[in-house]
Amino acid sequence: MDQLKGFKLEPKQLRMYGIIGSVVGIYLTVGLNAMTGTKVFSFIGCIAALFAVLWGANSIRRICSYGLGTGVPAMGMLCTGMACVAAVFGLNIAGRFGFEIAGPIITLVYAMVFGYVVGTLCNKVMKFNIPIMEEGLMDGSGACTMAVLAWSVSLSGSLSYNEIIATVYNTGFLAVIFILGGMALFHPFNANLGPDEKQDRTLIDGMMVGGLAMFGLGICSIVTIGFAPAMLTIVVGFALWYYFFVWYFRLAKRDAAAVVGTGLLPPSAL
Amino acid sequence: MDAFGMGICAAAGALAFVAGASEDIDSDIGSQSNPNSQVQLAAQVGNPHRIYNKAIAGEPPSNALWCAVACLMAYVLIEGYHMPLLFAAVAGASLAALFDGVMSISAYLGRSASQARFNQWIYLDIIRYTTPSIMAHVWITSFCITLIAIIQVYVLTPHHPFPIPVIGLIWGITVGAIGSSVGDIHYGGEREFQWRLFGQGLNTMLSGQIVRKAEAGLRNSIDNAWFCAKFGGPCTGLGFGLTVFLDNWRTTVFDPVTQATYAIAMGCFFVLAMNLYNLYMEISARKKYGPYPGYKGDIAA
Repeated sequence: MDQLKGFKLEPKQLRMYGIIGSVVGIYLTVGLNAMTGTKVFSFIGCIAALFAVLWGANSIRRICSYGLGTGVPAMGMLCTGMACVAAVFGLNIAGRFGFEIAGPIITLVYAMVFGYVVGTLCNKVMKFNIPIMEEGLMDGSGACTMAVLAWSVSLSGSLSYNEIIATVYNTGFLAVIFILGGMALFHPFNANLGPDEKQDRTLIDGMMVGGLAMFGLGICSIVTIGFAPAMLTIVVGFALWYYFFVWYFRLAKRDAAAVVGTGLLPPSAL
Repeated sequence: MDAFGMGICAAAGALAFVAGASEDIDSDIGSQSNPNSQVQLAAQVGNPHRIYNKAIAGEPPSNALWCAVACLMAYVLIEGYHMPLLFAAVAGASLAALFDGVMSISAYLGRSASQARFNQWIYLDIIRYTTPSIMAHVWITSFCITLIAIIQVYVLTPHHPFPIPVIGLIWGITVGAIGSSVGDIHYGGEREFQWRLFGQGLNTMLSGQIVRKAEAGLRNSIDNAWFCAKFGGPCTGLGFGLTVFLDNWRTTVFDPVTQATYAIAMGCFFVLAMNLYNLYMEISARKKYGPYPGYKGDIAA
C-alpha cells in the first residue's frame, strides 16, 4: 500500500487559519452577493465554516485529551450553545450601532471573551484543573461561533440581523445548525477517541462532517435563498464530503492494526 | 374531548412506541451510548472483538441530529413545494438514515483505528452488513418522530407555534434520553455480561470482559439486535410511548384551559402510581431472586 502522508498543525497555526478563513469567507460571501445582487455566492459561507470547524475540532481535541471521555459531546454542545448566543448578540449590537458590516468581528471578540470567562469559571470555581481549559474554551467558543455565523450567512445570504432572524431562527433551521455544527466540532474527536488517535485523521473527520453539514444546510437553503443557489451549496457540499470521506478512509487504513475484508479475531486473541 | 383529538393522541402514542423500540435497537446494534464504554474497553484489556463501535455522541444528541435532519427535509418539502405530509416524512427519514450511515461508518473506522496498539482490526464485512440495519432502524425512528412533529404543527388545532425542525430536535433528545436510560441496561447489563450472577452488579474487575463468542462462531452486532428486540427494545418503546400517550391523554380528556386543575392532578396521580409500582417491583424482585450468593453485607464506602 502506498504510504499516505499525514500532517501536523500547531494550535496557533490552526487558530490563524480558522479566524482568517472564516472572517474572510463571510465577508467574501456577503460582498460577492451584494455586488452581483444575487445569492449565488452563499455557498462560500459554508466553506468559511469549514475553516472554523478545523480550528474548533482541534480545540475540543486538546481539551478532551485530558481524559474527558464522556465529556467530549458535552464540550461540543457547550461551545455550540455559547455560539448561538454570541452570534445573535454580535449581529444585534452591530445592527443597533448601524454598522452591520462589523458584525462578524464583534461576534468573534465577544465569543472568545465569553469562552475565556467560562473556561476560567470551570477551572477556578468548579476546580476542573485542566491546564488549557481557558485557552481551549476560548478557541472552541470562537470557532463554533464563527461556524454558526458562517452557516447562518450562507442560509440567509446576508449579514443583516433581521434577515438572519427571519431565515435561520424563525424557520427553525437554527436547530439543524446547532446540532450539525456541534457534531462537526465534537464528532471528530469522539469518533477517533483512543490511545492511537492522530491529529490529521481527527481533523479530516471534522472536515468530512463539515461537508455533510454543508450538504444538509444546502437543502435548508432551498426555501431561504432559492433553488439554484441552494443546488450549488448542495453539489459543492457533496463533493467536499466525498473528497474528505475518501481521505478519511485512507487515513483510517493507514493507522489501523489491519483492515480485513472478513475474518476471525486476530491470532493473538483467539 | 372529541373523537378526533383522542384518535390523534392514540396515533402519537403508537408512533412514539415504535420510535422508542427502533431507537433502542439501533443503538444496541451499534453499541452506542452507555454499553459503548465496555466495547471500547474490551480491546484495551486484551479482548479484540467483532462488535460494531458506533460512537456518535450519546443517544440524545445523535437522535436529535437524525430527527432534526428528517424534519428539515420534511419542512423544505412542505413549505417550499407543498408536498403531501406523509411523503415529506418519508423523504426526511431517508435523508436522516443516510446521515446516520456516514456518521456510523466514520465512528467505527475511527475508534478501531485508534486502538491499533491493542490489535483491534477493522472488518469491512461488519461495515457492509451492520450499517444498513442501523440505518434501517434510524429510518423508522426518524420517520415516526417526524410524523409526530407534523401532526403537532400541521394537523392538530391550534397548530404548535414552533417550526418542525425545532420540535424534531426536542423529540429526538427525548427519545434518545429514554432509550439511553431504559433499553441500554438490557444490552449493557444482560447481553455484554451474560455469565455473571444475579445481583452481582458490574465489578470494576469485569470491565471490558464482554462476551465475544456466540452460540456458534463469534458474536456480532446483529446477534445483539436479535436479543435486544425481545425485551429491551419493546421496553423502551413502552417507556416512550406511555410518556407521550399519558401526557397527551390528560390534556385531551381535560381541557387544558378550563379544567387545568384536573389535568395537573391527573399528572401527579400518574407519577405517584408509577413510583409505587416501581417500589413494588423492586421489593418483589429482591424477595424472589436475591440475595447474591457472594453477598457479605454492605461495605462502607
